[in-house]
Amino acid sequence: MTIHRRTALVAVLALALTVPLVLVGWSFRSNASTSGTIKIGASIPLSGPLAGFGSFQKWGYQRAVKLVNANGGITADGAKKKVELILLDDKTDPNETAANTSTLITKNKVDALLGSCTPALVNAGGVIADRARVPLVTGCDPLEAFKSVKKWQYVWDIFFWEPDLAAAPFKAMKAWGVKTNKKVAIIADNGPDGIVVGGTLWPAFAKKFGYTVVSKASFPVLSVQFGSLIESAKSKGADILLVDAVTPPAVALTKQLQAANYHPKVIVIEKGAEPVQYAQAVGKLADGVLVGGYWDPSFPYPGAKQLKAQFEQQTHQTWSQHIADSTAAAQVLLDAFATAKSTDKGKVNAAIAKTNKTYVVGPVRFDANHTSKLPIVEDQWQGGKTAVVWPKKGATGKFLFPRP
Amino acid sequence: MDWPTGHAFATALVTGLLLGGLFTVTALGLSLVFGVMRLINLVHGELLVLGAFLAFELGKHGRLDPLVSLVVIVPAMFLLGYPIQRILLGPLMTKGAEAPLMTTFGLSIIAVNVFRLLFSADERSLNASYATASFSAAGIDVPAIYAISFAFALVLTTATHLFMQRTGYGREIRAASEDPEAAEVLGVNVARAYGLTYGIGSAFAAIGGVLVGLAFSFNPTTGATYLLTGFAVVVLGGLGSLKGTLIGGLLLGVAESVGAAFPQVGDGYRDFIGFAVFLVVLAVRPRGLFGRVG
Repeated sequence: MTIHRRTALVAVLALALTVPLVLVGWSFRSNASTSGTIKIGASIPLSGPLAGFGSFQKWGYQRAVKLVNANGGITADGAKKKVELILLDDKTDPNETAANTSTLITKNKVDALLGSCTPALVNAGGVIADRARVPLVTGCDPLEAFKSVKKWQYVWDIFFWEPDLAAAPFKAMKAWGVKTNKKVAIIADNGPDGIVVGGTLWPAFAKKFGYTVVSKASFPVLSVQFGSLIESAKSKGADILLVDAVTPPAVALTKQLQAANYHPKVIVIEKGAEPVQYAQAVGKLADGVLVGGYWDPSFPYPGAKQLKAQFEQQTHQTWSQHIADSTAAAQVLLDAFATAKSTDKGKVNAAIAKTNKTYVVGPVRFDANHTSKLPIVEDQWQGGKTAVVWPKKGATGKFLFPRP
Repeated sequence: MDWPTGHAFATALVTGLLLGGLFTVTALGLSLVFGVMRLINLVHGELLVLGAFLAFELGKHGRLDPLVSLVVIVPAMFLLGYPIQRILLGPLMTKGAEAPLMTTFGLSIIAVNVFRLLFSADERSLNASYATASFSAAGIDVPAIYAISFAFALVLTTATHLFMQRTGYGREIRAASEDPEAAEVLGVNVARAYGLTYGIGSAFAAIGGVLVGLAFSFNPTTGATYLLTGFAVVVLGGLGSLKGTLIGGLLLGVAESVGAAFPQVGDGYRDFIGFAVFLVVLAVRPRGLFGRVG
């Protein structure tokens, strides 16, 4: 009886050890999905200060997936598969982005990911994806802010290069021959791109183009009171004000400039003045505000005009550049699945690396740093809409100077 | 250490004082509810944001000026707050402090999500000529909206004090605040007194929201910021003291603005300075600057 009990015990122990080993071995056999769909996950800001950006990304991602599914899906792993898009709200909080990305990978078992918006959020999710070796394609992350995090293996970025953005206002002023006192005041948030653009690039380009920085200050990303900073810039008599801020502080600053009776001849507000919500919030005060752009429906890229028309028809909102970079990011990822003919993450990643095609946002081809650069133009708010004012060739409006 | 110029210092002092009026208005409802009912109203920030959204919608669809729309918003918010207290919070108040507190926390989460559904998550702002206007006083450019907020702070604090001291309802509220059981025995309708308090607190929160929307901007999650500022003002001034809330708000505004005027500090450290002053005051005087509801 003792032998029988011992034998049973040994058998149970053997089984308890063997089954998990078999299952672990099975999971290592293939990196490919065994589900009947291709699962793409994305954690994006559907609430919080960047909800404006997130809503455009949601539209772009969903549109790309819908188009693919309308054509029957993608052939991968020997079968035609539909694409399933799983969106989570990161509430404009990088901690949430990281947590959501983990959830998408471990719980939802996504085959690949699409990125959030702005460096803090994109990078937070990207680090998780890279560690888990899950391909992630993103727009909405300026390239230096993206590259500064790490040497990426599985994360890919399609966006503009900060030095191009920082130089654009100076190039625009030179092209249009605007006359100012060449005094520049800089107010930038202390987020990753605010530090790069406001802290380093703008001062360097100001010097290069013969301007003098008379005032430079930074503030916490969501601060909404700028009394002292405005007073400082005003007292130094700066004709040019360069601001790097997200939308809530951009709105507050614009109003407070007016209340402080400070009217710089040129105002640039990067990031925060980009979405139409900014112009809706400040009304006529938006007129003349410059903001760097990387896409316009007038650009000669496939489907650009139609993308804008479709967005406005479906949402009854004014278009944003983010409908283009999000659509393109999703299309790059979906094309990679089609090229790889597999959901194996390594194969999909290799296919992304080989991307060389012009999408709605422009030509996409990744370099060794996993970045694909989009050229910059300078936009200006005019009558509730943005007009491209630089480069002059291809401009859709005249440079309003001085700011009305 | 670089000191601010005389002009910069004077500007910071004046604008800080007036901005403190805005802080006072945003905190007044919180102070009233805590002072009378000993309830930390965690949905206060969302009531503030609701006021801003109502003004936005009335402006968009009814073309009403934001301050004029208060004529509609104030009674509407009172009529919202009164039943919340009578029906939802009132029955829980006999079950300890935690139940109503957690209920207000739950309401705040529901409110944020309802705002997103009804109004979207987009950043909004209330527009009016006086929102961005300024006037000059002794060579200092004063934002008009800050002066308006200061005026509201004085008027609302004075009106509340007079209401508490000179009206029957005010006497009931004070009695309920001092000793609810004894007040009940003496014939005071404590439940009604609490309902009135919560309704008034909700209306005050909405006024604060309209001023915030005019001075800055708002979205469904903005309430949390002003709940935090409101706490600081209420605790700084002394829990349950209207006079303390007024002085606390002004002090916070001045501390932030004057601190930010120092070139090495700037607006980037406003919040840090404000809360540093808050901690220093509490360290010296743990009960805050003033006493209870008066």
